[in-house]
Amino acid sequence: MISKQKTREALSGYAFMTPAMIILGVFLLLPIICAIVLSFYRVQLLGEVDFRFAGLRNFVRIRDDERVWIALKNTIQYVLIVVPSQTILALLLALLLNAKIRGRSWFRVAFFLPTVTSSAVLTLIFMWIYNSNGLLNNFLSFLGLPTYNWLGDPEVALKGIMIMNIWATAPLFMVIYLAALQDIPESLYEAASIDGATTWEKFWCITLPFLKPVTFFVITIGIIGTFQLFDQSYIFSNGTGGPDNSTLTIVLLIYQYAFNRLDMGYALALTLILALTIMIATLIQRYFFKEESLD
Amino acid sequence: MRKLIPTSIAIGLLLFTVGCRSNNTNQVEITLSGWQSNPNEGKLLDKVIREFEAKNPTIKVKREVINSQYMDVIRTRLIGEVAPDVFYLEAFEAPTLIKYGVLEPLNSYIKPEFKLNDFEPNLLNAFKQNGTVYGIPKDFSTLALFYNATALKNAGIAQPPRTWEELRAAAKKLTIAQNGKITQYGMGVVPELPRQTFMIKAFGGQLVDQNNYAAFASPNGLEGLQLVVDQYRRDRTAAQASDVGANSNSEAFGQGRVAMTLDGAWAIPYLKETFPKLKFQTAEVPKINNQKGTMLYTVAYVMNRQSKQKDAAWKLIQFLTDETGMKTWANQGVALPSRRSILAGLNYDRNPIYSPFVTGAKYGTIWQAGETLPTITTSFDNQFVSAMLGQQPLPEAMKRAQNTANREIYLSR
Repeated sequence: MISKQKTREALSGYAFMTPAMIILGVFLLLPIICAIVLSFYRVQLLGEVDFRFAGLRNFVRIRDDERVWIALKNTIQYVLIVVPSQTILALLLALLLNAKIRGRSWFRVAFFLPTVTSSAVLTLIFMWIYNSNGLLNNFLSFLGLPTYNWLGDPEVALKGIMIMNIWATAPLFMVIYLAALQDIPESLYEAASIDGATTWEKFWCITLPFLKPVTFFVITIGIIGTFQLFDQSYIFSNGTGGPDNSTLTIVLLIYQYAFNRLDMGYALALTLILALTIMIATLIQRYFFKEESLD
Repeated sequence: MRKLIPTSIAIGLLLFTVGCRSNNTNQVEITLSGWQSNPNEGKLLDKVIREFEAKNPTIKVKREVINSQYMDVIRTRLIGEVAPDVFYLEAFEAPTLIKYGVLEPLNSYIKPEFKLNDFEPNLLNAFKQNGTVYGIPKDFSTLALFYNATALKNAGIAQPPRTWEELRAAAKKLTIAQNGKITQYGMGVVPELPRQTFMIKAFGGQLVDQNNYAAFASPNGLEGLQLVVDQYRRDRTAAQASDVGANSNSEAFGQGRVAMTLDGAWAIPYLKETFPKLKFQTAEVPKINNQKGTMLYTVAYVMNRQSKQKDAAWKLIQFLTDETGMKTWANQGVALPSRRSILAGLNYDRNPIYSPFVTGAKYGTIWQAGETLPTITTSFDNQFVSAMLGQQPLPEAMKRAQNTANREIYLSR
């Protein structure tokens, strides 16, 4: 009797979950399986649809594809600069806004605005700022600093995108840090003050350790987001990844192979490589951050 | 009772859809997709389409504008089998689509009274393979030399340059610096393959070999390209749009930041509308190596092989490209009509602004080269820019571009 009731309960439970399971299955699980399977195939979609098993040929091709390595180099360089910068900037902003300064709600809103703006719009605005006769160059020459052709010079094009992205994503992480800062018990700081700790010591020994899980989260999300850089470099270079491959990223390369060349199998092989890279990066970082309980 | 309401709604909906269908038994709808360079062009095309619908009451035409990443959208829709019945196709994309067999061969539809031989043969050939016609050229443009008449007058240059040497000399005179900052460059340059292919051919170079592998890095091919790089690097009399803070080459010319440039006929309406005070003239591209050369771009109407309304689709193509249809919208000047009779009939060959473009059609290099062209273009553009910026010598850059492209082509075959 009891078992019958249990099956009924289980059944109704699954019935309630069916919509979610169908949607996740069709739009999440199935594409992932397709991507993995098809990356071993040579796929022709236009005209006569044709799948031919290619074994590891797509992956061997990656090894010989110069542009993959350029894209990977650009992406890793981008991650290594953007993630630490935006994390530190976010922490600084959060500490600043956590202090008792006047009009801090205003500042919070103002700092958060870039994050809620669409990245396509931001990129277009920044392209005006980066214009050879634009705001940034005028400002630099006013200070007597050298000016750059931010959009046309391969040496600085990626740096331009980095600056833009740090500016746009740091506020999101700032809000997360801000929430975490509110959770640190005031009593700890009081106790530290009684023991004669300086502000710096309090920050180093209380604030930072408390923020460790949040920092792990921020860096993980940051790494995943930056590895997937696409829209900014797409708009910047009009989809070519130029000048001189300097703004070519892995996702942009995948897009080019999948939609310009219609080489779906190869594009999927590249996607797997990207997924693998992100996983490895996250694992490395987990090793350094080993989640420990604070209490 | 509770079940009655949903059931009746369902039945009602069913009847509604059936009702919709029975209303239009003999009316078919076809889709026409293309891009639009300005609103005026769209209005003219709409007018022609309304005339078509009035003459063919059973056909309804849905016009759809795709302005961004046109080919990506079309290719994706072709794969998804939801592509439009009739769409614009640029010559350089034609070999790929023909190869995959997604275009409907048009030979069986074309009647003698359509006068196919009235089309400029260069343009028609771009959409022909082994005698089969896959597209009807809608219009074309070549490159011509645009020059700022005021700037030339101020520099004491009486007539536009006729040879590349004259052009380099004129560009030197036209480059003006103020307080150590150049305010006007002599020449605007676009370092991209679609604009530079004729420079490769100027001294006998070839873009691709017979198997469609890249072959532009030959000494002959490099000679023409070297002229472009030298002017940019050694003379310092040429500028890219981004050097002068413009969004496009045409804009840089319109703003007076470059005094001369090579551009297509599409720039004429843009310049007239956006920079009404600008006094500009056009001339044929200066002779290089004592030969005339330019680029030739063309767009055709093509039919989707999957189309369910092929007869209606052909009727539309025919209406848009026959003598009356073409005449209606060809006077807007964004591009030139592909029928020789209309080109002459609208006096384009006698119009001083347009005649250099018309003459160019006879000797222009058509922007097309097999299905490998997208790969070659990406590779060329990337390396040519780095040669322009002086990061590596041109021969080295072009060798690398050629090798990268060919390896990619080899691996993708």
